[in-house]
Amino acid sequence: MTISRRSFLGGATGAAIVGGGAWAALIRDGVETAAPSLASTTTLTPSSTTTTAAVAAAAANAGVAESLHDRVLVVLELAGGNDALNTLVPDLGRYHDARPLVGLGDAELIALAGTDHRLHPALGGLASFWDAGTMSAIAGVAMPEQSRSHFQAMDSWRSGTAGPSQTGWLGRWLDLSLDEERNGVDDPLRAIALGGGSPALVGSRTMATAIRNPANFSLRTQRGTDADALIDAFLATSAPLVDDPTLAAAQQAIPGTLDAVALLASARVDDATGLASPTQGGTAQELLATAANIIDMEIGTRILTVGVGGFDTHASQHATHHDLLADIGAGLEAFFARLAATGHLDRVMVITTSEFGRRVTENGSGGTDHGNGGLQFVFGPTVAGGVVHGGYELNSLDRGDLPLVVDTRSVYRSALEWLGGDGAADGVFDDVSDALPLLST
Amino acid sequence: MISFNSTRETVAFLARRATWGLAPGELDELEALGVQGTIERLVDPSAAGLAEEVSWADWDFTYDRGDRDAARAQEVEAYERWIGRLLGTERPLDHQLAWFWHDHFAVSFQVVKSLPMMLEHLERCWALGRGNFRKLIREITTDPAMLVFLDGNTSTGDAPNENYGRELLELYTVGINNFSEADVAAAAAALTGWVVRRSDGHAQFVARRHDDSPQTLLGVDGVHDVDTTVAAVTGSPACPVFIAAKVARYFLGDVDTTTIFELGSVFAEADLDIATLIRATLEAGVAGKATPTVLAPLPWLAQVVKATGARAETELLAGALRALGQIPGNPPNVGGYPGASTWLASSATAARFSASTAIARATDDESPVMVAARARDWSGLADELLRPAGFSQPTITALEELGAGASTRPGEAALAVALASPDLLVA
Repeated sequence: MTISRRSFLGGATGAAIVGGGAWAALIRDGVETAAPSLASTTTLTPSSTTTTAAVAAAAANAGVAESLHDRVLVVLELAGGNDALNTLVPDLGRYHDARPLVGLGDAELIALAGTDHRLHPALGGLASFWDAGTMSAIAGVAMPEQSRSHFQAMDSWRSGTAGPSQTGWLGRWLDLSLDEERNGVDDPLRAIALGGGSPALVGSRTMATAIRNPANFSLRTQRGTDADALIDAFLATSAPLVDDPTLAAAQQAIPGTLDAVALLASARVDDATGLASPTQGGTAQELLATAANIIDMEIGTRILTVGVGGFDTHASQHATHHDLLADIGAGLEAFFARLAATGHLDRVMVITTSEFGRRVTENGSGGTDHGNGGLQFVFGPTVAGGVVHGGYELNSLDRGDLPLVVDTRSVYRSALEWLGGDGAADGVFDDVSDALPLLST
Repeated sequence: MISFNSTRETVAFLARRATWGLAPGELDELEALGVQGTIERLVDPSAAGLAEEVSWADWDFTYDRGDRDAARAQEVEAYERWIGRLLGTERPLDHQLAWFWHDHFAVSFQVVKSLPMMLEHLERCWALGRGNFRKLIREITTDPAMLVFLDGNTSTGDAPNENYGRELLELYTVGINNFSEADVAAAAAALTGWVVRRSDGHAQFVARRHDDSPQTLLGVDGVHDVDTTVAAVTGSPACPVFIAAKVARYFLGDVDTTTIFELGSVFAEADLDIATLIRATLEAGVAGKATPTVLAPLPWLAQVVKATGARAETELLAGALRALGQIPGNPPNVGGYPGASTWLASSATAARFSASTAIARATDDESPVMVAARARDWSGLADELLRPAGFSQPTITALEELGAGASTRPGEAALAVALASPDLLVA
């Protein structure tokens, strides 16, 4: 982050930077006393809210971060199997034939420049990113031989390996880059999982920090006790490590937690971008707001995962899927607005994942069953925008499912090469799948 | 492997794994019963002379989600009844099994949205949870909450919904790699026609919504309805091993494969009688087959609340469970509540510390744990907290170094640190 870039974007957006904020106060209070309530909201100020179009345009012009080590990869995990065909809708008669009830009508869809594919109406706010050239999509994306089981498919998406693996694709990158980036000394804040831990982050020599609900992430003590002494004693239970690996794992969790609480207490909530302070946690909007705060703190975090569930839409999926995508769309818009306001837009790439797309033909419940080929979105300043990679091959279905057109490991590979430079993905994957040309050269 | 140096250590292990914690003095009673006596009392409480429990959900009320305040009050009352029952029961293993099956089926109130249906489901998990597994699966398959949760309610012969058929095979009976996609489709078709009647919320079979054509399921021909489906899936040789493995991991931790296959054989030979499987599982545990496990938030909280006798108001319990990330009745997905790595994550670690300070505050001066903490009697405190072998050396050192002035009330700070310690998280 530089002053000049902040000034540039500040000029483009007119958003003021406000430090401190309700969340920091909340955590500070929480450490000192038993905080009575978590409800602390900031006032919305629509007049100063950055317009999405301005952010998208700024993103297109933001250029490349000074150092690769400043870059942050955000992986937005949509658990349950997001319905690809109703998220980025193909202009094909077979789509409507297969989905008389579940299919979306032409009138409500959002057109995108340069493609026949159209967006779900709840994602309309993202069209400006597409048009500005900072967003692309990958359709028909899957892992080879992917299962229709949530758990097997999630395992393979998160491991990035054809067979079983003890580590995740992000964890292996954290492992492999540890020497070069950190002289071999691990820091659990290099990778932070919001909305629950992600197996993608599991490494063999690195640890990630998992925070389910940022609003509840605090250490509380009672009046009439010495908070510092209690926290020191809690830390003291963690060392030296005992022989039993389970007890040792419980010990190892403590120091990183105390560090994370202390650091996140200084996260800011910026009133000017109109973000509500995180309260209950769990929605994409709240988790992405926290992610933006963490990026702004510049604590050396290189990877953030954001986990959101509920995409297993077997029945009556219209309303459910609409609400889920609206949360994602609003969350991403606010996230990028926040990054623009704080001058971090050029440091961040976002990719979405989901363990499978859904069956092409609707079931009798107004929903869709588990399928195969899915959809990913990619956002970032150096993304070659406005492109649908791969595609929906509705004429060559595999057992009623969209077939694999793009191997998601080629998306992962591109993301890691952006994050860590050429060769960053070497050793992470067990095959030699090429990187997808996601980035502008 | 966990080995034991005394009867007291062995029965404390059983209490940590198969009860919801012990009140002060109860560990002495179990020690007097002995190891086998404790197992029998847990597995067959009627034979041990304990009174039968009446249905805990037998609670007559009118539930109207339109009346939000009244519905919310009833939901809070249901929650208090449920947690109160876990903490107060004389038959804790029955409620461990009810919880195990709730976790196994992972039916979520957030999806079901009807409190009476959810209670009826939990009641089934309790009432059938120690009986025959085939009967349990049969009843859960047409349980109204399940019909809503996994969409059997809207599945028709013309366009079957695969949600329940898939999870019946993958998660409930035989496990992944023991069925094919054709089996999923077969189960889905054979189970069509069961709906939840709007008028009274009961399950009903509607023949015109059903596909009665014969299916082949797991190699069994002629499967066409709920009974033949249940017979096919529970008749698979994979079923007793799959269930035994899950039960063994729940009660014993990371169990070796040989033990799992032995327990699977016991379960199969007992015609899928759950109580027989549980008895064999606990016996394997006391014979040294168990490994240390991380306690999930609800058992951790129940154990510390019972041991301290803390005045645990709903607000404290609900707030702690929420912050810890395990909300009874709301598993995060169809896989059930998450595993150890989630409870070791930063969120849960911070929440455990905060809950420990609140529970220590809610503990009376006369409580045996507080007496021991005040006296700086760390081995006595560990014993009261179901760790008769004592705390680990780092925890003892941390308690030693904690000044007596760390809390205005003597002992409170030390009790809080002991409750939050890694020792209490690991069973």
